[in-house]
Amino acid sequence: MGKGRPFLEIFTYALDEDYRFPILEIFAFFFALGTFVFVDLGAYSGQTGEALAYNLVSTLCGFPLLFIFVVLILKNVAYGLGGDLEKGVMQTLFSYPLKRRYILTAKLLSGLGIALLLLLGIQIFGLFLLAPDVILTYPSTVFLTYAAQLCSPALLLAGLVLLLTLRLKRAGLALVIGVVLLFAGLVVSGLVYSIAYGTGSDVALKIWAVINPNLALQTYYYPMGAVGFASETWVPSFSEVLLYLGAGYLIVAAIFVVGYVYFERRLEI
Amino acid sequence: MRWVTLLGRIGTVILAIGLALLVAWLIPSGSSSWSGVSQPVEPEQYMISELGVYSPQTAFRISVEASDNVRVYLLGLSLVEFDNWRTQVVEAYPDSATIFHPYTVPLLFFHEAYPEQPFPDLFGPQTQNMVWNVTVLDKGLETHPEIILWDPPPSSSFSHELFPADVLHIWVIVANPSDGTVAVDTKVWDLTTLAPKERVIRPAILFISIGIALAIPWLILRKVKKSTF
Repeated sequence: MGKGRPFLEIFTYALDEDYRFPILEIFAFFFALGTFVFVDLGAYSGQTGEALAYNLVSTLCGFPLLFIFVVLILKNVAYGLGGDLEKGVMQTLFSYPLKRRYILTAKLLSGLGIALLLLLGIQIFGLFLLAPDVILTYPSTVFLTYAAQLCSPALLLAGLVLLLTLRLKRAGLALVIGVVLLFAGLVVSGLVYSIAYGTGSDVALKIWAVINPNLALQTYYYPMGAVGFASETWVPSFSEVLLYLGAGYLIVAAIFVVGYVYFERRLEI
Repeated sequence: MRWVTLLGRIGTVILAIGLALLVAWLIPSGSSSWSGVSQPVEPEQYMISELGVYSPQTAFRISVEASDNVRVYLLGLSLVEFDNWRTQVVEAYPDSATIFHPYTVPLLFFHEAYPEQPFPDLFGPQTQNMVWNVTVLDKGLETHPEIILWDPPPSSSFSHELFPADVLHIWVIVANPSDGTVAVDTKVWDLTTLAPKERVIRPAILFISIGIALAIPWLILRKVKKSTF
């Protein structure tokens, strides 16, 4: 028996656990309908080009669609792994002729990958129906905006919840901490702006942009001067934006690598 | 077995997306407000009104009633094209930079027809006949046929609903080719919808069909399993 079959077995098992029928279908329905409900093409009539593409994607990555998505993946990561650890199912999974890292990959592919594929596939298709010119003319901006929006909080928190779940072996607690961190992130975002506004310094913004690269991208398209800050506060260049995005994904990748190493070598059940 | 489950779930997800598109298609477009203009159009002249910026989600219904046969055109320019046209007009007539934003189209048509003429007084008795002449309009439309969104045959009564394919600046033009003055009554209703209906319905049908085809084997299997245990 090759690796493919047991991998598929675990993947479909994880899929059944993460998305009991019809949970996935309900999410797909609301993501699709939500794309049309929350995009307001007329609202950006004064904008053109890349700024318009950035805004359209950002609207879809705001409340409530991305919030629902983040809660969904946090639930999947916490309960997909934590539930199996609590119920002893993980022992059964470890008996499969498959390395531990493949088991974790199958679980993450179901909990994270499928949700991500669903969100991106539906939203990009919806945007293509609504504004085909924007999607076809500025695909790199659309890609970059999604990359920046998803890095933090979605993927960063998913990685942290993965670590917490493996360490605590309790799904509920890991999920609660994940949701608290999500709200904490929102509060910190507001604080960072206040600090920058109050002090006139862009240090806080730059530090936060490492964790949340969307701030750099947003500032690139909408310099701080446009929202009441001193016009020289911070205007990153495009290469700087890429640097912040790279740094953000490095942090996310590092967290997942630690999770994989812990799962493979240190996890005791 | 696992493949049937996997394909079945993919099918139900595709079906759900198809149903969401169908719901977006079924939700009727709402009419939010309307505006009207009544204006006489002199013989062999045309009038133009800027309707505003519309998108696939914000459309309009227009009705034009005239006392004699007139020609009606709906013109649309993307925001980028509109900026280009503005630039061309401002380069040709620097004085128009701040004042004649809604008259970008007729000014460009006029400049293309009479490149040597200075900036015209749009409604002055000396130049009015030249600027608003039907031949200037015809020449302009001949040069830029891509901006014509709707070009019905001449009549005295028109009604049309337009959902632009993209975010567009829209203008309505009423041209009077006859020898007498024509009274024209134009009414515009703004419409809002979730999604452009003609773009949504095809993928909705396609997704629902594929979804059902993929989901049926899995649903049957599920039912058989349930009845067995």
